[in-house]
Amino acid sequence: MPENQKIDIREVAAGYEFPPVSYQIDSARVADYLGAVDEDNALYRDTGLVPPMAVAALALAALSEGMTMPPGAIHVSQEVEFLATVSTADTVTSRATVARSQNRGKFHMVTVALRVVNQGEKEVMAAKTSFILPGDVKDNEPA
Amino acid sequence: MTALREGTDLPGLQKEIKQAKINLYAEASRDFNPIHIDEAFARKTPLGGTIAHGMLILAYISQMMTAAFGKNWLTGGKINVRFKAPARPGDVITVSGRITRVEPEEDYTLCRCEVLCENQDGETVISGDAKVKVKHDGSSS
Repeated sequence: MPENQKIDIREVAAGYEFPPVSYQIDSARVADYLGAVDEDNALYRDTGLVPPMAVAALALAALSEGMTMPPGAIHVSQEVEFLATVSTADTVTSRATVARSQNRGKFHMVTVALRVVNQGEKEVMAAKTSFILPGDVKDNEPA
Repeated sequence: MTALREGTDLPGLQKEIKQAKINLYAEASRDFNPIHIDEAFARKTPLGGTIAHGMLILAYISQMMTAAFGKNWLTGGKINVRFKAPARPGDVITVSGRITRVEPEEDYTLCRCEVLCENQDGETVISGDAKVKVKHDGSSS
């Protein structure tokens, strides 16, 4: 998505749903990921299994395709639940919803809930990601 | 697999943070935030330099959990953490964890754990808790 079409995460209210993003995590990307995190567990050797944190990281990358965050954004907390394995043959779809958006004066706090399903609509991962952002956008907290 | 007893330490690990690894992680995760990869940009921020992705450090915890619980982590693991301090190039991160509670259920045993990442100065980088459903029959699909 072009940068000028992306949404500033501070400008959307709780409940906003980002467009779903579907993708495959192929064996080359898994190999890159394993190399980057120095992971050599035999579980991932020639099995086609995708490391669960790679699924989480790429779900966040999919989210970032639809939004922008201002410089100074800080990732403050992360919750992730792994519900089923993902393989390199799977096509997964990531759906993201703004769970919380609050202006706190100089700061803006945003929590995004992520849900990743496979091609059979089986949920493979659920997550909540919270950021603190420089806050100069109106309060989007629902009444 | 790690013995399922309260108080058991998880198989900890140490990782040295290098800018080259951060760059590789940026490529693999498609997270190109300049605070992680652009030294000139990062130097002008309050952080004063590049920092590792929080998700990279979290991946190290996941690595420990996978070593401890195998495929059970991939099918029934949950983690909840706070990022307390940045990890910077040159830091050595020690990842540790401990089983705090073991709760037998009908089809699985629920293991609750505390997890921690500290830098070489003993500063907490990540802290939180995790739980994993360990299947009784050894399967975890």
